[in-house]
Amino acid sequence: MFLYVDPGSGSYIVQLIIAAVLGAGFYFKTGWSYIKNFFRKNKTDD
Amino acid sequence: MLPEKNHPASYRDPSGFVFISEGVIYRQVNPGYSKDYELLMAGLYGDLVAKKWLVAHEEITTIPSTDRYKILKPVQLDHINYPYEWSFSQYKDAALLTLNIQLCAMTHGMSLKDATPFNIVFSGSSPIFIDTLSFETYDATSPWVAYRQFCESFLAPLLLASYHHPDLTRLMLTYPEGIPLDIAASLLPFSSKLKSLASLHIHLQSGIKGNSKQAEKKQVVFSRDKLNRIITHLISGINSLTLNKKISTWSNYYTHTILQDNYLQEKEKLVDAFCEQVSFHTAVDLGANTGQFAMLLEKKGKIITALDIDPLCIERLYLHSRENGLRITSLVSDLMHPSPGIGWNNSERKPLLERIHAEMVLALALVHHLCIGRNLPFQKLANTLQQTGKFLIIEFVPKSDEKVKQLLAFRKDIFSSYDLDQFKKAFGGYYDILDEKNIGHSGRALFLMKSKNG
Repeated sequence: MFLYVDPGSGSYIVQLIIAAVLGAGFYFKTGWSYIKNFFRKNKTDD
Repeated sequence: MLPEKNHPASYRDPSGFVFISEGVIYRQVNPGYSKDYELLMAGLYGDLVAKKWLVAHEEITTIPSTDRYKILKPVQLDHINYPYEWSFSQYKDAALLTLNIQLCAMTHGMSLKDATPFNIVFSGSSPIFIDTLSFETYDATSPWVAYRQFCESFLAPLLLASYHHPDLTRLMLTYPEGIPLDIAASLLPFSSKLKSLASLHIHLQSGIKGNSKQAEKKQVVFSRDKLNRIITHLISGINSLTLNKKISTWSNYYTHTILQDNYLQEKEKLVDAFCEQVSFHTAVDLGANTGQFAMLLEKKGKIITALDIDPLCIERLYLHSRENGLRITSLVSDLMHPSPGIGWNNSERKPLLERIHAEMVLALALVHHLCIGRNLPFQKLANTLQQTGKFLIIEFVPKSDEKVKQLLAFRKDIFSSYDLDQFKKAFGGYYDILDEKNIGHSGRALFLMKSKNG
């Protein structure tokens, strides 16, 4: 089967944005898990 | 080898087409696809076939022609099934298979040019990709051409099933090209916006309406790394999707049957004995529940399709079959509304009843659901079952049965002709009754019948 999708239209821009968000998300996630772990550690210390 | 009849759904792709000759399915590769085909065969094909992800084929030698490059004979599958007949986990596994195939293809310099669940078939408890010509040379500077199609035809039904109800994968019957993103976005709850899977791939995407002029101006180059990130994100998101807990606990009902334990044991013995009396290789279990009898037949080496109206029963049966490597193809279907023929000319996707033919039909604890629960006359049931297979093992559940009483508890009993004599008379018109046994002291009876059509 074959579907004609113009990669130049919406799908192109969306994939660029999502790839960018996911790239940024990686740094955000690492930072977030650092904060979470920090509090978790504190909790287990109690 | 010349095409007798082109497959009615095989007209979209200029790379080739599927045809049927003497009942065997072949695939022609057109000259325009030769470069991609050679690239596919250079490594990706072997890799995918070794993983059992892609259907294997052999090349058929033919007289050289300018119209065709190759003719392939794929391994013939037992039957074809469609996404609107899959349970949640089947759908999930088909989506993951598509994404994993795409990742694998990228490492071989190829990419999927489409991502539709109709390219996948469940054969036993494993999904397999059947469209050999779906691969094209990968251009890392472009995004994935099939991305939107993947989101509409895999992700949207999965999210709707996960957030709402497993039955919603059946929306694919109405939207076989995929659930339009604006519809999917409007049906998903607000909470889905807080999760990156739905918020990025459905909500964000449905909100952006680009046009080609805009894109021409933007000369931002895509990369392999970017696509890898998107696909990996889809894989991890889909992997963690589950069914709504409130709904998935219903299925516990099936473990608490009010019927006596020895009833099921007795019935299993009888079915086992009936199966020994006749010779058959393929079977279909209608109203399979969680598959106790389908498993019995699987053990005997039969190729079996199990159907049930309840998506949670099929979900359970699928997960069990997958875990234990059982060769049972399990499908969700309401026999009162079996999947119709859809697509162009109503012939791209075949109706269910044309796809489930088997030598043996099992209809256990089904008659009362159809003939009392849904007012279906015995004669209509017998007629349809006869068209489905040569042999029939059928259970008669009398009016005095507790389950029938439940069905009639809140409705008028208009079924004066629902009794064993009428049942035998109606089925006797279509079948020869080979054997008849009472199932313990349950009041139910089991029949082995053979179609009068031979």
